[in-house]
This record gives sequence, C-alpha cells and structure tokens, in this order.
Amino acid sequence: MPSTLSNPLRLGLRQERVIPPQCLIIFGASGDLTHRKLIPALFELYLQRRIPSEFGIVGCARRPWTDDEFKEKMQAKLTDQISGNENEWEQFSNYLFYEPVDLQQSEHLVRLSKRLNEIDKSQATHGNKTFYLSVSPNFYGSGCKALKAAGLIDDPKKSRIVIEKPFGRDYSSAKKLNRIVQSCADESQIYRIDHYLGKETVQNILVMRFANTIFEPIWNRNYISSVQITSSETVGVEDRAGYYESSGALRDMLQNHLTQMLAVTAMEPPGKFEPEAIRNEKAKVLQASKLADENEPWNCCVRGQYAKGGNSLKRLKDYRDEDGVNLNSTTETYIATKVFVDNWRWQGVPFYLRTGKRLPKRLGEIVLTFKDVPVHLFESTIINPAPNQLIIRIQPNEGATFKFEVKSPGSGMKSRPVEMEFSYDESFGEPSDEGYVRLLADAMLSDPTLFTRSDEVEAAWKLYTPLIELMENSPWKLPIHKYESMTWGPPESDQLLSKDNIFWRRP
Amino acid sequence: MKPQLTLQTPLELPYEEISNYLNKLWISEDEDSSGANTFTLMVWQPSWLEQCLVQSGLISGPITGTLSPEIIKVAKKLIVDKGLSHTTSVNSEQLLTLLKGNLSNKNYEDLRGQFFESSISTLNPRRLITLAPTLNKKPEIKTFVSAYCPLSDNTVTQSICGDLVVIRGDSNSINKKGLKIIDELSIKDLPTWLWWNGSLNESQEIFNYFTEHGIRLIIDTANGSPKRCLKILDESIRSNKAINDLNWVRLKSWRESLAMIFDPPSRRPILDHISDIDIDIAEGNILQALFLISWVSDKLEWLFSKIENHGELIKIDFKRKNGEKISTCINPVPLGNPSVHSGQVIGLRLISKISEVPKNNTCIILGCESVECMRLEAGGMADMQLIEQVVPNTFSSSESDVSKLLGSSRGNTSPLFESTIKVAVQIFNNITNQD
Repeated sequence: MPSTLSNPLRLGLRQERVIPPQCLIIFGASGDLTHRKLIPALFELYLQRRIPSEFGIVGCARRPWTDDEFKEKMQAKLTDQISGNENEWEQFSNYLFYEPVDLQQSEHLVRLSKRLNEIDKSQATHGNKTFYLSVSPNFYGSGCKALKAAGLIDDPKKSRIVIEKPFGRDYSSAKKLNRIVQSCADESQIYRIDHYLGKETVQNILVMRFANTIFEPIWNRNYISSVQITSSETVGVEDRAGYYESSGALRDMLQNHLTQMLAVTAMEPPGKFEPEAIRNEKAKVLQASKLADENEPWNCCVRGQYAKGGNSLKRLKDYRDEDGVNLNSTTETYIATKVFVDNWRWQGVPFYLRTGKRLPKRLGEIVLTFKDVPVHLFESTIINPAPNQLIIRIQPNEGATFKFEVKSPGSGMKSRPVEMEFSYDESFGEPSDEGYVRLLADAMLSDPTLFTRSDEVEAAWKLYTPLIELMENSPWKLPIHKYESMTWGPPESDQLLSKDNIFWRRP
Repeated sequence: MKPQLTLQTPLELPYEEISNYLNKLWISEDEDSSGANTFTLMVWQPSWLEQCLVQSGLISGPITGTLSPEIIKVAKKLIVDKGLSHTTSVNSEQLLTLLKGNLSNKNYEDLRGQFFESSISTLNPRRLITLAPTLNKKPEIKTFVSAYCPLSDNTVTQSICGDLVVIRGDSNSINKKGLKIIDELSIKDLPTWLWWNGSLNESQEIFNYFTEHGIRLIIDTANGSPKRCLKILDESIRSNKAINDLNWVRLKSWRESLAMIFDPPSRRPILDHISDIDIDIAEGNILQALFLISWVSDKLEWLFSKIENHGELIKIDFKRKNGEKISTCINPVPLGNPSVHSGQVIGLRLISKISEVPKNNTCIILGCESVECMRLEAGGMADMQLIEQVVPNTFSSSESDVSKLLGSSRGNTSPLFESTIKVAVQIFNNITNQD
C-alpha cells in the first residue's frame, strides 16, 4: 500500500519551472553559507529534478582546494541531507568543481575565466552563468568590478550576479555600492537576496491579499488600527560576533527582513504579477515610510542588549561575555521601532517592528489589529471585547489565525474571542522549501520578483537614517537597555507601545 | 489572447526555393534582430469544419484556422437543424460528412498559418510551419513565407524574430511533396514540435512521417478513436518518443482538485479505504475518464482486475495489494450543450468505506457545476461525510494549452502521463468493444 505520509495523488503534480542550462559560480565557497545553505539548497533542487543535466557549480575561494577536496568537504557537511540519498549525491557531486580564486587578483580572474570556458564546454551550459557573491560585504563592489574587468558579466542575457545581504551599512554606502554595481552590470542582472522573501509564508501575504476579495477592502486605515511585525530568535550571537559587533540588530534584521515584511504587508496591489510591477509597489511604500518621530527619533525606538539568563540547567551568558564581543559593547541585540507609512492607505496607522536575539521563542509574525467596534452592545467574558486580529505566522507553524468575537455559551449574551486557524502543516502536510531553494532557483531562472531592487534597498536604508545617525553621533540618546536572556526584550519596548495604549502580542 | 498577424504579407515562393530564401533572410536582416534560438513548431491545421462552413456559405471567409465562437455557434445550430443528436460534438465525423455533401467549389481566402495566438508567438518560436490541407483537390502545392517579430511589452529588450512557412495543398499533395520540404526546413540543434490539430484517425501516412522522424508530438486524444489514440501513445512511450496530449492537459484541474482534497494529512487515511469511483463524462470518447482512473489507480498502486461493458457504461475493477476490491465506473451522460472536446469529464464521485456505519464513511464529489454535484449526491450519499467541490469547466483555447506545454515541457513525455498511459493501455486492451 502506498505511504499516505505524503499525499500520493500530489506526486508529480506540482509543475515547477525548469532551470535552464548554466554554471553557478559561488565566491566564498569555503564559507559557512555555502555548506549551510547554498549547496543544501542546490542538492534539494537536484532531488526535486529541477537541475538540468547541463549544469555546473563552481566553488571559488582563496583556499587551494581541488575539485575532489571541495566535493569531500561538502559531503562531510551535508551528511544528514545525503543520508538515504547517497546515489543522488554521487550524481549531484559530478556538477561540483572548485577553483582557487582571490577576487582581488586579476590573474586569478583570468584563470577562472579559462576554467569556466572549459566547464561550459564539458557541461554544455551555453555560456549561461550566475555568480553568487557569498563574500564579506566589503568585497561586493570590488568583486563586481573584478568580474566586469574579466569580461565575465558582459552579456546581460547570459550572466547574473547574486549579492547577499547586507547591501551597504547605511543609506550613503548602499547608494555608493549601487552605483558601483550598476556600473558593472545592468540592474536586470543584479539579484540582491533577502532570504525572508524566499519564505512561502511571506509570499503568501501577496496571495492572501490579492487573491481574495475579503481582505483588500479592509486592508487600510479605515479598519486597521495598528500593525506589529516581529522576528525573534532564541539563539545568541553564537560564532558570528565578528560580524555582529559591527552590524547589530538594526543592520542585521530590521533594515532588510523586517522592512521587506513591512513592504509586502503595506504595498498597493500591483497592476499585474510581474517582477517590475511588484518591485515598483514595494519601492513606493518604502519611500512613503518614515520613523514615527524623525526629529526626535529616540521617541520611537528602543535598543536592547541581552544580559545573563536561563535556568540552573542552562546558564546563558551576557552578550558582553560572549566570545569575540567587546566588553563595553554597545551593539544592540534587540531593537523595536515605530514607523508610519505616509500614504492614503496607511495614514496614521502605526507599524511596530521588533527583532531580537535571546528572546523566549523563535518566531516571525505579522499582526494586524483591527479597530474596535463603534459601540459595545455585548458584555465581554473578559474585561473588554478583544479587537479582531489577523495574525500571519511566518515561522514556525506557518499559517494564519483570525481572532474574532462570538457569543459565549450560556443564557446571557456575553462575547468572548475565538480563533479561526489556517496552518500549512494541517492543510498541506508537507514542509515548504527553504528560502534559499526558492531564491537560488529564481535567480537562475532570471526571475527577479523576490529580489530587492536598488531603489528598494536605498529606501529601506533611508528610512532608518535618523536612527543610524543618532547611534553614531549621539548614542546616549538611544541607550542600550539590558534585558534578561529569554525574556521579550527590555521593559522600555513595552512603553513604546503603551504610550499608544497598545501592547505587544505575546505569542 | 488576441491572435497575432504577421507584419509582412506572406510571400508566395516555389517550394524548391523556400529553404534557400530562409537561409538568406537572417543574414540580410538588420543586425539588431536575431533569429530566435528556441524551437520549430509545425502545425497540422486541417480546420475541416471551418472550411466546410465557409464553402457551404454558412459563414463568411476568410479561413483562419481558429475555432471561433461564431463557428461553434453555427455548427451547433446546424446539429439541431439537421436532426443530429443534441449530444453531437462540433468536431464529429457525422457533422462533417453531412456538410461535405453540399460544398461549392469556390476559392476562398485562406489565412491559415498567418494567425497565431500571442500565447504561442510570445514564446518566440524560431520557425512556425503550417501544413494547411485543403478540402478542394489541389494537386499543386503552394508555399508562403514570412518573417515575424512578436511585439513585447518590454521595450528595452531587442525583438526576437522568427519566420513562418505555410504549405497548402490537398492531403495527397502534402503527403507527396509537402513532406519533402519539411526535411529541408528543419533547423539543426533546435527541437521541433508537431501539433496535430486535427483528428488522429485521418491522414495517418502524414502523421506517421512525423513519428518516424523523432519529432516531439502534441496531440489531442479527444479527437480520434480511443483505439487509434492509445496505439499512438503506447507506441510513442515504447519507442521513448516525446508525446503530449491536450486531453490530458485539460484533465489537470480535475487531478489538482482531487489531490487538493487529500493535502490535509488528516484526510489521507480515506485513500486506503476507497471502494468506489464513478466518473461522469459527456457522451463520446472515453479516454479522458480512462486517464483519470488510470492515474488514480497508478498513484494508489491498485492492480487492474477486469473491465466490462454494460451498454454505454464501462465498469473497471481493481484490487488493492491487500486484496480489497475497488469498483470504478465510466458513465457517459447525454448533455444538451457539450464541450467542443468530446468525452470531457463532468463529475467524479469517490466513496471510501471505513466501516459499516454510513456516517463513518466518506463520499467525495467533484462536479463541473453544482447541478452535477447534486446529481452525484443522490442515493444516500449525504448519509456519509460529504466533501464536495466544483471544478470549473472553463476550457482555455487549444492554442493556449499548447503554449503552456511548450513553455513548461522538458522535451520528454511527462513521467506522470507516461505511467498513466501504461495503465490505460492495459485496461483498454481488455475491453471487448474497442470502438
């Protein structure tokens, strides 16, 4: 009897787009991201039969590895995923190549170019190339210049560059980097990746909003009183202190992931589902966004840093005691801010965004709170009737919940809130792909819909410029508040909302 | 989608010169325009119904090759006027035979091969070759050539151009002379597709020419006898030749709707206890229903045990690996206004018996409209847990289905279709009356 663990009638029914023949070149192939996300995502695409037979993956880094060493190292890192798929890995590893490259050495690029020509012939990839810059952000600009100088990205139809986040450190550096990158390649060749956009649930926001008639009429200032966007992690800085110390929660999460969620939540409906139409609307909404108090931004932002915590079984360190962290560090591991979107749809509706490390739960969610009813006809079983809420869960337990009032059973006419639930697991029963699976495939398919365009990136940085300037010039005005590890951030973040008579949702 | 017309009036050339002319065309063109590096699409475009209606004076020309709403309307009226059964399909041989008895010998403007829906032209086929057989006996072959550049919304990208060739003459002359040109027109290194946009029962010599030349095929098994259609499908997969079927493509919403019911893991156990499946189809070709049953049985690993004809009704039994029997039934229903495609599925009822107590069992009903759902609900189905869904029967045009196939195919037969064909052939070979 066939296994009903997965839906047997679903097998083979999903028609995925086929990735055209090409060579994917990963710079920074010895780094963490390559074996943690990129190669697993490519192997997953292979298992889904979406990788064409004419394909090649060329790892590039400074280490003097050979093709075989690269294959062995990847195999060693992917043991869990390979287990049970050994034959498939054997086949897949035939696509793996390695070339030692230092992007700053022009002769290395010349050697790479020759090697790519050989691989192009042996793998029949028709000269199609996707370059993935998984290198330190300091090398994005020089990396693009090196590729341009080597003539590797001259053909806009046959070459693409994928650039990891963070794209710049602030508005001016992002603008400068955009200028450099755009002088090397057409905007149509540039894919700025934000893996949050690869998540099924983030994309589902677009479908929920624009494929249903019931949401759009109420998706505005007339019915929605506030929006909360949360992305929380339970982990601390782990082994990323070197990067995190210079970035912090604002640059690491707020400016990109949370702001992209804001954009898809608040954007206007695009005229058609085409990359530029969608990116136009996202860019417009970001350009219309501003901090709730741009002149005195300390009034609309709270920064925090995790302190000790945990329990007797697991003691958790203070951020400043973590390996690689400055003992007097003022890097924020938590940030909460209030934003307004200055347009007809959202005028006056506060958007509260918060993200942090060492919070009690790992989750991402968007909570739309609707306005209260004009007259309370019914007494509530709790103190006050709860306003309707639509909660979109990005992770975990992906799905959505709608909270509304019903009559509480009994002889009286009291109301109480109940929840109407949609869960990906219960409805589809199959895990959705990792964000990188979707985004790598899209980049190789030349589909930029889920990648951020230059104007979006700049608008997102511009939005937080008053905060960044404050943090750099007058940091005492935006102090770091310590919070106990595994709590929901510093108490000051609650005050940010309580001023408006609102509370953070406790998920 | 509006049809796209060539910008250049097709040039009539002697067929011996066509190949040379096309070779020169791309060399002399503006350097900014390049011939698309995509595929060649050949179309067998008899459009017999349209030709008959034009030559009978029932509709005005020119002949375009598109099955327009006007043609369908006139043909349906004719079916009623001529006293044919209301369930007769507009593509039926009966109707054509009737029309052929009353034709004029006038010549009409023939634009076949010059009209292509934008869904196809925007895929930028490198070469479009239309084989346009004429009703009138024309021993001479006429050939026309034109270049085209589909207009794109994106003004930045340069236009990607292709060319089109029309080969016109009667079936006999196309068979004798036209096919010779085809060989010369094939572009090395680019895949070639043939869309057989006509009945699979006719012009078998011409069809066989294409199957023998390893060309990727797109057929429509709603248009041809089940025996002939299954033979073609079976031979193609046995010889590892790529074949696609629009009748299978049109089944997609049924397959998707049925699969969707079982997406929630809580419903999966229903699949282990299916006891009955009844499929209602519009009277005519049974293949689409047979595909649907074959697909389900293949995915659930049932073993075929027997098939019986009970008049129009066809009963097919399967066994699960644990020996439990599953009864399925294909039930042709007379419809007053059938689809232009013969034998389309209009309803499905699936019963899963988990116990002797009806309310613990499940009945799943898919219907093309709520009336069909209500019909399938009759007979005590409501005593069971009922899951109902309407599968809208809004057919897209054949051109649009072809473009979806061309845009998504990897150039092979879909593995899902291939395994379905194998089961369908096994079942059909046991049928007593195969016509």
